[in-house]
Amino acid sequence: MRGRPRNAIWAALAIVAGLLLTQSTWWDTNQTVFAQAVVSGLLIGGVYSLVAMGLSLVFGVLDIINFAHGALMTIAIYVSYLLFLNQGVDPYLSLFITIPLMFILGVGIQRFAINPVMDAPIHNQLLLTLGIAIIIENLALVFFTGTPRSIELSYARNEFDLGPITLDFPVKVFGAVVTLPKLIAFIMALLLAALLYLLIKRTQLGAAIRAAAQEPEGAELVGIDVRRIYTITFGIGAACVGAAGALVIPFLFVSPTAGATFNIIAFIVVVLGGMGSIPGALVGGLVIGLTQEMTQLFVSGSSKLLGVFVVFLAVLLFRPEGLFGRVQR
Amino acid sequence: MRKFTIYLALLLSLVMIAAACVSEAEETTTTTAAEPTETTQAETTTTTTAEDEPPEAAEPVKIGSIHPLTGGLAGAGNRMDNGAKMAVEEINAAGGITSLGGAPLELVSADSTGAAEVGQSEAERLIGDGVSAIIGTYQSAVTTNVAAISERDGVPLVIDVAVADSILDQGYANVFRIQPNATSMGANGAKFLNELAGDEIKTVAYLHDETGFGVSVADAFEAAAAEYGIEVLARIPYPPFEVTDLTTEMSQAAATSPDVIVITGYYNDGLLAARAATDLEVDVKAVVGVAQGAFHTPQFVADFGTDAELFYNSNYHFNASDPKVKAVLDKFESTYGEPMDTEAMLSYQAIYVIADALERAGSADPAEVRAALADTNITDHFMAYPGPITFDETGENVNAQPVLMQVVDGAVQQVYPLDLRETDPVFPGTPWGGS
Repeated sequence: MRGRPRNAIWAALAIVAGLLLTQSTWWDTNQTVFAQAVVSGLLIGGVYSLVAMGLSLVFGVLDIINFAHGALMTIAIYVSYLLFLNQGVDPYLSLFITIPLMFILGVGIQRFAINPVMDAPIHNQLLLTLGIAIIIENLALVFFTGTPRSIELSYARNEFDLGPITLDFPVKVFGAVVTLPKLIAFIMALLLAALLYLLIKRTQLGAAIRAAAQEPEGAELVGIDVRRIYTITFGIGAACVGAAGALVIPFLFVSPTAGATFNIIAFIVVVLGGMGSIPGALVGGLVIGLTQEMTQLFVSGSSKLLGVFVVFLAVLLFRPEGLFGRVQR
Repeated sequence: MRKFTIYLALLLSLVMIAAACVSEAEETTTTTAAEPTETTQAETTTTTTAEDEPPEAAEPVKIGSIHPLTGGLAGAGNRMDNGAKMAVEEINAAGGITSLGGAPLELVSADSTGAAEVGQSEAERLIGDGVSAIIGTYQSAVTTNVAAISERDGVPLVIDVAVADSILDQGYANVFRIQPNATSMGANGAKFLNELAGDEIKTVAYLHDETGFGVSVADAFEAAAAEYGIEVLARIPYPPFEVTDLTTEMSQAAATSPDVIVITGYYNDGLLAARAATDLEVDVKAVVGVAQGAFHTPQFVADFGTDAELFYNSNYHFNASDPKVKAVLDKFESTYGEPMDTEAMLSYQAIYVIADALERAGSADPAEVRAALADTNITDHFMAYPGPITFDETGENVNAQPVLMQVVDGAVQQVYPLDLRETDPVFPGTPWGGS
């Protein structure tokens, strides 16, 4: 707790410094491209945050690294896609189905697969979650084939009259294009992060989750059913990708590996933000999103993931507990 | 935290080891490649005259098929395997290989998972299984390794899809390619642009996949474009399997104010690029794919609807104006429930190329099949090529060339070369009416 305000200042300073540095050399000549990179980075960063939040929570509380996180997102993507295709359910309405569904699925996976290995050596847990991921991806392949699919929202390019202002999507911000699906995904990611934060900080369940994370035996002594908390927490983690899956469909593609695309990024965000920290995952996701697009802009001829990996290494070297993490005891 | 770091270190080192294995394998295979070439060639010259021994009760002839059946490229991989299956079933239904006493073909499918080392070990397994020939593999990296194995063991490989020039630069005697190589793809892409608009296209911004496929095609395009006086203003590479958004890349390309934006890559990234171009309404005369995996597919039109309109793609293509090809397309769709793409057609074609060689060789012996393949001359093929399928001494299909296509009136239509034209191109043409 003590280090947190300082961490926030560090993160803010890093972003401001990055912005100033890049502005001075580029602003005049390439304003639009720069604005686009910032906007794209923030928008996709919001999705990274949402995915990483679930991963971070599961690690922070259960001490399990869930390699099946991306695969769970794939399930949500297909559920939302099929609802759209067969029932014509709007992807955003399908959130009301994917979130509870993924929660239940997460609870099931934890209870019947993860729980038996909670006390097993780490490599057993690793192989188990990796195995779950492989099973899910291959089931998707069997049922839906590997053919990538996608959907287009009929209203993505409409005008929206919001009383004082009228938004004509895609909206331009400093010359940068903001599309409706990405904006919705971003806003929903922030909203869900806030809800999750309140849940952890302000509710009795949240207190129990925090207790189980910090001191499982102590929590048990004061009457908390730690196993049940573990199950619920894993369910919440899965619900996060349940939301993310439905939110990305209108601007991504649907394929058995679509969710896994986010796996590596989500791990890096968790390390950057700090294990088990919701605000950490939020800030980490935005920082990684920005880093990725800035790399694309300024380091020509290289993969945009290069910058992301540099940030990742720097964090491991200089601040292994992450921006918002507790220092290891 | 420590545990997490250990995990990640483990994961990353695994990835690195895998990568090291691949490059190592590639290196070793190139060095061992040269030596067995001579022996197989010597052998084949003596065996071509082998008499037709009456084959007893027509034992099936095994043909290996290596494609990415799982992983990120599983969509195309499975369609290709299905294309091969369909050809095998047709040939068997028509009485098998006549010169082998009506021997049926048996397709042995293998999954490369998209990884070079897996493709390599699967090729070894298939050869151990006694296949007479192999088709595959959709990716240049995988094909490089499979080709080396096929050369070493003297079992012919007919490449349906794999673009890198380097695969056939090794002097392999057992490797044949039906599709155009990277040089042909890139150079013809530039040529079509020049024919399409002459002086109206002077500058190009190039978005491409950062792997060997994208880089080699872009290199060939840039070299050929220079001869037509077309300048490549910017080259923007991206990781095709990791991207979730290409808006920044597209706006970078647009910021150089090119006449045309050119894109090389696979399906998913192509979809993202098309979406970014549409969202940004890039101010160019056209968006043109060169060996792009999406813009010439029926699925792109189905996915993208009216937004797909007017996108160009210079890519290999089946001969859409041939009624025989239309029948194959219809049959595939009704059998497998999805439209047949050119990749699947190339696999289908590869089986027919091998069947033709088997027929002429009158033997299932790989060496004799290889010799017969070298003399291939198939005029009634399914591809939009200006001449028959026939291989030069390096194994390249002499007449392989891409076709320029454009989505016009909700359908992918051939526009260049002129003798294959289905409709007149719309140029300048973007759905949002840039320039």
